This record gives sequence, structure tokens and C-alpha cells, in this order.
Amino acid sequence: MPALFFPRRYPPLLRVAVLIVLSVFVSVFSEKHSNIESVSLTMAYPVQWISMQGISFWQRANNYLQSRAALASENVRLRAELIRAQPKLLEADILRNENRQLLALLDSIPQPPGKVAVAQVIAQNFSPGSQLLVVNMGARAGIFVGQPVLATGGVAGQVVSVSPMSSEVALLSDLDSSIPVQPTDSDTPLLVDGRGDIDSLAVPFQPRNTSLKVGDRLVTSGLGGRYPPGLNVGTISAVIHNGDQPFAQIAVRPAVRLGQLSTVLMLWDRPSPQPVVTP
Amino acid sequence: MIAISFIFGFFLALTAEIIPCGPFYALLHPDFVALLLLYWAISGSSELSFTIVWLIGLLQDMVLGDVLGAQAIAGVIMIYLLYTSLGRVRGLPSWEQLFFIFLLLLTHRLLVWLWQAWAGTITWHFSLLLGPLIGALLWPLFTLAFDYLRHTLRPRHI
Repeated sequence: MPALFFPRRYPPLLRVAVLIVLSVFVSVFSEKHSNIESVSLTMAYPVQWISMQGISFWQRANNYLQSRAALASENVRLRAELIRAQPKLLEADILRNENRQLLALLDSIPQPPGKVAVAQVIAQNFSPGSQLLVVNMGARAGIFVGQPVLATGGVAGQVVSVSPMSSEVALLSDLDSSIPVQPTDSDTPLLVDGRGDIDSLAVPFQPRNTSLKVGDRLVTSGLGGRYPPGLNVGTISAVIHNGDQPFAQIAVRPAVRLGQLSTVLMLWDRPSPQPVVTP
Repeated sequence: MIAISFIFGFFLALTAEIIPCGPFYALLHPDFVALLLLYWAISGSSELSFTIVWLIGLLQDMVLGDVLGAQAIAGVIMIYLLYTSLGRVRGLPSWEQLFFIFLLLLTHRLLVWLWQAWAGTITWHFSLLLGPLIGALLWPLFTLAFDYLRHTLRPRHI
């Protein structure tokens, strides 16, 4: 192995020290200039592409090797699910029509529906410090930073950096993640923060005599304008009133099984209606 | 030939670290790149360049989406610590090396964690301890497999 850049005659401790300084410089630089993330995501794409090929090969092999009986039983299960979903679909249609009529009555600005695209997860990094996914859609598919990401059940997270072919999604459980929510039965604005734990989120800064209780469902409130209102976020799984803590500790079980995502939905929300200002 | 297998090995190790196989795998998989670096440093014939270790770490940071420089500096310090006692470690059978490997992998993971904590918030998690432990337990298997690979890939002169 040739000695790159550094001649071997310098003592090893000096070489290590120089590299430590260099790392500090790189870290600070990348924190200051966020477009570095896009560059590094592009650099990482070849490795992620190989990982994606590996997964799809495994899935194809799995499909091929699945027995006829297993396929038949899955077919029966899916058909039953479809029949169960049918009334809900009808109901949704009726509600959509009704909503449109009501909006027309209110003279509201007509809203184009939001768009959704399915993206495949090609890499994951779950460490206590970060809970990130990389998906196989990027700027070329119209992905933008801050885009809401959904999955079966509700909200999964949001896009934090974009490269031409792939983009990085911070899950709700990421330490830096925070999402504005409200309980389904009241308008109390709350936040749900990630704690670096894939199965548990937290509601910060609630007084010890909070009215929130175990089993309350939390949905996005639409405050902040990043997530559309009414999407499932999670259910309160524990409320701990500890005497020596200034706030109640509230744990939330996410609506989406964040650890087992293989496909996610990228949401392009409809443009928010412009407020009409009358003088 | 050695350079090619080196690059190919790191590509594979990186892929193994990011492949989405559920939450348990993601939290508990050993740090394959660090394991490969340790193997290379212990069994390789020539000294590993710190700069190359650093660059590999930087690539790993890019692929994992961590704070840039975290894995890079952890890798360099881990290899430096290994080199301070390389003579002793080399002489040991691989199952006794296991303890050294555990300490080195633990140092690596804690350094990465500290670096992330410096950029964000500190939380403790059991995987900080369990990941290196699993990595160290895999070490004898790892050396066996790689010794075999190196033996079969070596060019033969008749």
C-alpha cells in the first residue's frame, strides 16, 4: 500500500493529528454548506445501486421459489382485503364529491389534488444518532427537500437531501425530526419529536397535568405548511408523570412500522390556498 | 490483483452496511468496513496508509449519510491504536485477538457516536455496545474466511 500524500518519515502521531484536524475541517465545512450533502449522496449512488440490485434479485428469487400453495393463500387473503376495502373506497368517493360541493358553496379556490409516487428504499442507516433511508427517486423525478414521505399507515418522514438519482429521507424517529400534530379529538397544537428509537417517538414540553392519555391518536395539524393536515402520525403509548421531572414524558408509537419499510410514497401536496386579503 | 480485491471488498462491506433488511439487522450488524480494515492491518504484508483509511471512512460517511468525517476519524484512530500494539496482536490466535478487536470496534463506534453527538444530540443506545460485540464474535469466522480467500486468490508460480 503506497503512502498517499504523506511521506512515511513523519511520525504516525503527527499524521493522525493532521487527519483529525482535516476531519474537523470537513465536518464544519459540510455543516455550513448544505449542498455538500447532495454531492455526497451522488457519490454514494453506485454503492446504493448495487444494494438495490441485491435486494431486487433476492425478491425475484423469493417470488420464483414461493410455492403454489403460499401464492394461493396470499391471493385469497388479498381478495378478502379488497372486499373489505370496497365500502371504504365508495365512502371516500362520496366524501370527495361532497367536499367539492361544499368548497364550491364556500366560493373557495378550486384545489388540484396532490400527487403521489411510489419509491423504493435502497439503503438504510439506523444508528442512535441518525435514522435515515435512501430512496431511488431524486431531483430528476421532482423530489425536493422538505417533501413529506408517507407509507402504509401514515407519515414516515421527510426528505432532507436530494441528488439527481436518489434522495435521503429522515424518518420521524430521527433525532433531528419534529412534526406538528394535534389529537384527533381536540385542536391542541403539539409536536412529536424523534428520539433515535425506531419504535418510539416523544411529545415534548407537556405539563404534568396534561389531558393527553394513552390511546389518543395524533394526526398532522398542517401547521408549518410542510405536511398536509389529517395524516396519521401515531398513538400515545405511555404517559409518565414523574415527580422530579418538569414535564410529563409522553411516548408515541408511530403509525408506520418505520423499521420495515421497503417502499414509501412521495407526496406532492396541492399548493396551499392563498389567503385573500381585503383592505 | 491485491488492489482490486481490496476495492471490491470495501464495496461489498459498504453494501452490506446499508442493505435494508429490517430494524434488527440495521441496529445490530457489525461494522463490516471497520472489520475489513482491521483484518487488512493485521494480516496485510505492508503498513496501511492512514490517508487511505481516512478516505475510505469519508466514502463510508457519504454512503451512510452521517456527519462527514465521523467514520473517517474513527477509522484512523482505530488503526493507529492497533498499530501501537500490532506486534502483540499479530502473535495471538484469532480467538484471543477477539478481545482486542472488541475494544477497537467499541472505540470506533463510540468515536463515531461522539462525533455525531457533537453535531446533534446525545442519546445512549444498547446497539453502541452490542454492535462491536457481535463484530468481535464474528472475528474468528471472518479471519478464517478471508485467509481462505487470500490463499485461493494468490497468484501461483509453477
